[in-house]
Amino acid sequence: MINFEEELKKFHPSLEIEDAADAIYNQDLVDMADVMVKMAKENGVGETAPQDGK
Amino acid sequence: MYCYQCGCQLTEHDYCPHCGADVAVYKKIIHISNYFYNEGLDKAGVRDLSGAIVSLRQSVRFNKDNIEARNLLGLVYYEMGEVVAALSEWVISKNIAPEKNLADDYINMIQRNQTRLETINQTIKKYNQALTYCNQGSLDLAVIQLKKVLSLNPHFIRAHQLLALLYINNAEWGKAQKELFKCRAIDVNNTTTLRYLKEVESQILPEEAAQAGRRTAPDVIKYQSGNETIIQPAGAKNPGIDAPSLPTNLINIGIGLLVGAAIVGFLVLPARVQAVRQASANELKVVSEQSDAKTATIQEREQQIEQMTSQQEELQQQLEQYQSSEGSISASDALFEAASSYLEDPEDIVSISEAFSSIDYTAVENNASDQFKTLYESLYTRIRPQMMAQYYDTGYTAYQDQDYVSAIDNLEKAVQYGDAEEDGSDYANALYYLADSYYLQYREADNSQKSKFVTNITKAQQGYTAVSTEFPDLRIANTADTRLEEIRNLNIDVVPEQADTAQSGEETETGETETGSAGTGTASSGAGSSTETDGNTASDSTAEEAGTGISSGEEQ
Repeated sequence: MINFEEELKKFHPSLEIEDAADAIYNQDLVDMADVMVKMAKENGVGETAPQDGK
Repeated sequence: MYCYQCGCQLTEHDYCPHCGADVAVYKKIIHISNYFYNEGLDKAGVRDLSGAIVSLRQSVRFNKDNIEARNLLGLVYYEMGEVVAALSEWVISKNIAPEKNLADDYINMIQRNQTRLETINQTIKKYNQALTYCNQGSLDLAVIQLKKVLSLNPHFIRAHQLLALLYINNAEWGKAQKELFKCRAIDVNNTTTLRYLKEVESQILPEEAAQAGRRTAPDVIKYQSGNETIIQPAGAKNPGIDAPSLPTNLINIGIGLLVGAAIVGFLVLPARVQAVRQASANELKVVSEQSDAKTATIQEREQQIEQMTSQQEELQQQLEQYQSSEGSISASDALFEAASSYLEDPEDIVSISEAFSSIDYTAVENNASDQFKTLYESLYTRIRPQMMAQYYDTGYTAYQDQDYVSAIDNLEKAVQYGDAEEDGSDYANALYYLADSYYLQYREADNSQKSKFVTNITKAQQGYTAVSTEFPDLRIANTADTRLEEIRNLNIDVVPEQADTAQSGEETETGETETGSAGTGTASSGAGSSTETDGNTASDSTAEEAGTGISSGEEQ
């Protein structure tokens, strides 16, 4: 049995067009690649690759 | 794939060929992003929009530079009615890759139509307003608002779901199901939609939902739609929800056509026929009236024609009178000329006779005045003998010269003006030589021309006969008899002589009373008394000799 109130809470107001700019600016665009690069820089790994024969 | 450090294009090795950076993990991340993108694409292809969103979000989380995933994510949001979310993704995508980006086209598509953009904004505001109404407990207002929203943006899934929730809350299972079906058509695997749908179906078919939660095939299907309980056979399509089959449609259409044809045939057609008949009768009436008018016009014209015809006849008669008066006028002029010539020189018979001959007395006699007649008769009496002699001399000279045309012309006039009693043998001579001229003209013509002068024979016979009967004592009568015998011997089929104006005077002169010759009354009527006078003896002898000479010539 569906609880109306509980279900209603799951519905949030939709963003209006005027709010689109803020939504875009506030979006977190950090992805896994950025995390990996950051981790690599902190550890200093991957700056140079082992060369064959050396 | 490019190196995250130097931007150089990577190879199959796990290190950058340019800067040497370790790119093994980076490559894996990119691969995972692509994998999720592919998964999202597959789900979007089968309209599992919710699943596609999850996959595509994962894809851009692994690699935010995955432009294809981001553009597709925006497209999926747009299809679900989330326009602002779609625009956000496309704007971010355009910022990451400004050149050759599909997101550019999507953004222009929305921004180009300002009206559409404003409508979308209104739908979002109304949806938010509806949500507020729901939180406030004004569920009816919320329903009204949501219907407006869905009329403007039918793909707004959240609005459909909220409306379905409101219907479920009101136990309007049928309406709720309808909205949820629309949601499912847009996004087939939406969890919320499926959950609500399950609830609704459980309410519609509670006994089946209690058994297995699945619907079997009962004999009848019973469900409630608002305040109504609908019972329908199993396998039948849901009325109002599922569309009827094609054969049913065709049958319904056929029945409708038959009913329509029956209505037209029994109701519309008779009225139409009556109207057409009425129109025809009116036209016929108009045409009849026009025909009557034309008939009246024709009759009037015919009367006018009759009047004009009678007028024409009157005018014709007047013209004839005028012409006869013209004739009278010309005859008067000729008479005056003749009288004038006589007064100038009574001896100038040639001029006098010329003018006198031009008078056509028979034509003007009826219309001539008494003065005209008196003058004419007086002048005629004075100059007749001289005219007769003049014409005879001229004619005889021409006869001797064998100019028979001129001889005939002059001798006819001599006979015309001659008088058997007064002129005696002169008249007989003129008569004889005229007949002889006719005969000789025929006899001396070429064979090819003889047919032209056949009528001369009749005239010659008449002349010879007149001489023989009226002047039997004269020698010239014997010659006339001889000529008659010659003619009989010729065995010619003579054509009855036609009236000839050139010889009309001669015709009337020989044997009949001359009615045209006014005043004289000197026509020889058969037994003419011929008296040989001294004065005429010489001419008679000469004529006889000439006639004999001619006969001798013929005999030779």
